[in-house]
Amino acid sequence: MGYRWVEHTAELELEIDARDRESVFADALRALAELLADDGHGNRVSRDVVVEGREPGVLLVGWLDELVYLAETEDLIPEDVERIELSEAGLSASVRCHVGRPRHLVKAATYHRLAFKPSDGRFYARVVLDV
Amino acid sequence: MSDVAQATVRGFHQVDEVVWELPAEAREDMRVPARVFADRELIGQIATDRSLDQLQNVSTLPGITGAALAMPDIHQGYGFPVGGVAATQPPDGVVSPGGVGYDINCGVRLLVLPLTAVELGGRVEALVHEISRRVPVGTGHGGALKLTGPAFDRVLVHGPRILLAEHGIGTADDVEHTESEGCLAGADPAMVSERARARGADQLGTLGSGNHFLEVQRVARILDPDAAEAFGLRQGQVTVLIHSGSRGFGHQVCTDYVRTMDAVLARYRITLPDRQLACAPLSSPEGQRYLAAMACAANFAWGNRAVLAHRVRQAIAQILGPNVASQTRQIYDVAHNVAKLERHQGQDVCVHRKGATRAFPAGSTEIPSAYRGVGQPVFIPGSMGTSSFVLVGGQGAMERSFGTICHGAGRRMSRTGARRKITGAELRHQLEAQGIVVRCPSNRGLAEEAPFAYKDVERVVAVVERAGLAGRVAQLIPLGVVKG
Repeated sequence: MGYRWVEHTAELELEIDARDRESVFADALRALAELLADDGHGNRVSRDVVVEGREPGVLLVGWLDELVYLAETEDLIPEDVERIELSEAGLSASVRCHVGRPRHLVKAATYHRLAFKPSDGRFYARVVLDV
Repeated sequence: MSDVAQATVRGFHQVDEVVWELPAEAREDMRVPARVFADRELIGQIATDRSLDQLQNVSTLPGITGAALAMPDIHQGYGFPVGGVAATQPPDGVVSPGGVGYDINCGVRLLVLPLTAVELGGRVEALVHEISRRVPVGTGHGGALKLTGPAFDRVLVHGPRILLAEHGIGTADDVEHTESEGCLAGADPAMVSERARARGADQLGTLGSGNHFLEVQRVARILDPDAAEAFGLRQGQVTVLIHSGSRGFGHQVCTDYVRTMDAVLARYRITLPDRQLACAPLSSPEGQRYLAAMACAANFAWGNRAVLAHRVRQAIAQILGPNVASQTRQIYDVAHNVAKLERHQGQDVCVHRKGATRAFPAGSTEIPSAYRGVGQPVFIPGSMGTSSFVLVGGQGAMERSFGTICHGAGRRMSRTGARRKITGAELRHQLEAQGIVVRCPSNRGLAEEAPFAYKDVERVVAVVERAGLAGRVAQLIPLGVVKG
């Protein structure tokens, strides 16, 4: 099913329903990409992203925080996941981005109502972004 | 609304006309009652999202004293509600980064010009346009005051005072007329990550996006002549209100310490109903480190608003002349996302204000000497196109709310909900039809901040006044708005 934005009075709540754990992270990237997207004409670059941790929900928050950091400090707007590996140590990925001007600022991903769990043979995740 | 008529809303009983309380016995993990300042209309609106659940969760924090409080502009946040106040007792009471929020020391500064709107006349558009040219907004990097290394760290330690001394930004009068004189003690740059520095390095003097804005206004009504005179506000006078915070620097400080504290909850045997309330004892190494880093972010935010005010004065000089710029005075600058060590009712406490403003009464030695006869000024911005208010702190705030009042109108509708009801272009036309000059590069951002997405600021301010927390001094109406 991918991702969807859920009504929240002030912030943005993201829900993801994916076929496997890796796809949760890929969908989270696409959701953030929708938020940040500009005209998309900038140069394409690839970035490696590493997030340490064992708990999937905390990894998801760390993953989004890494992408927010790249957008804010290097004007990199994520487009897609080129490679993603989950291990005991955490997450290692390569992300395709373009250089641009992020349309929206995201302050952070939060732990509020954070969820990441198997659901009917798929994976469900929820994270609230402070915008 | 039927349960409102019975004077109980989701377990909150009406205590008096503007106070609603959920007793500590309502849930096993509550340590103190949860209390909301609101009238019947507002409590009905507040009850429609998760605000009250979030306030109840705050009441479970170790070491919380008195009550978990909510101001009438409360709305759903993450962890703490926005508009929430919690005082915790050292040494074992906790400090919670989420109780301050990501935008540490988001706040409001009000400048007053030495001329009236009539005297400004047809130059409003030119002034707003010039401000928009000089103040970086949105996500871009240009135009900031770029400092690195020790020069950057000195801003973290000293705030606007060092910008004046080393860069000629602002005035000594500005510094004096800033909450805590723009400098929280105990700031230690060693407690700040390189990532926070990277995010903040080119953001000093930038407005940002979201609900941050800058407004040129006119004093429409004086409601308390004595306090208005003390603040130097006259009927018809032009003011400039600046609303911004610590930008990416503060966001990263909060991110770092929420993560740190989430990892040590078990060590301190803290269990929480919401992980975003992650916290550690005030006396713990993690608590002390957070307070030192948070102070850096608070001082950075005051520095940010000082640079923004400097840019505004440059625009005033360009359009209205250098004499007008040099006579443009700062009334005050207030923080509304911060944790401060204060003394209330004979106790030392750490007051978390998340979307809430300190509002000390007459006689407080914490406010500028010129204001001690009347009390601390507080600025309550309304939504775009509506009124803002200048208030003055009242004795009731010391007795009922740890010296705190609201911070704005408070959202009542989601951003997507607002965009469904109006487009940015439509809203721009509406504001311009009211004679308000609008400079905002993002139609989407404009629509998300539509006035109807917020509570009625006049009602919010009336509750604060009826509760005795503060009094209204002046009503300001917008002439022009700049936002990201």
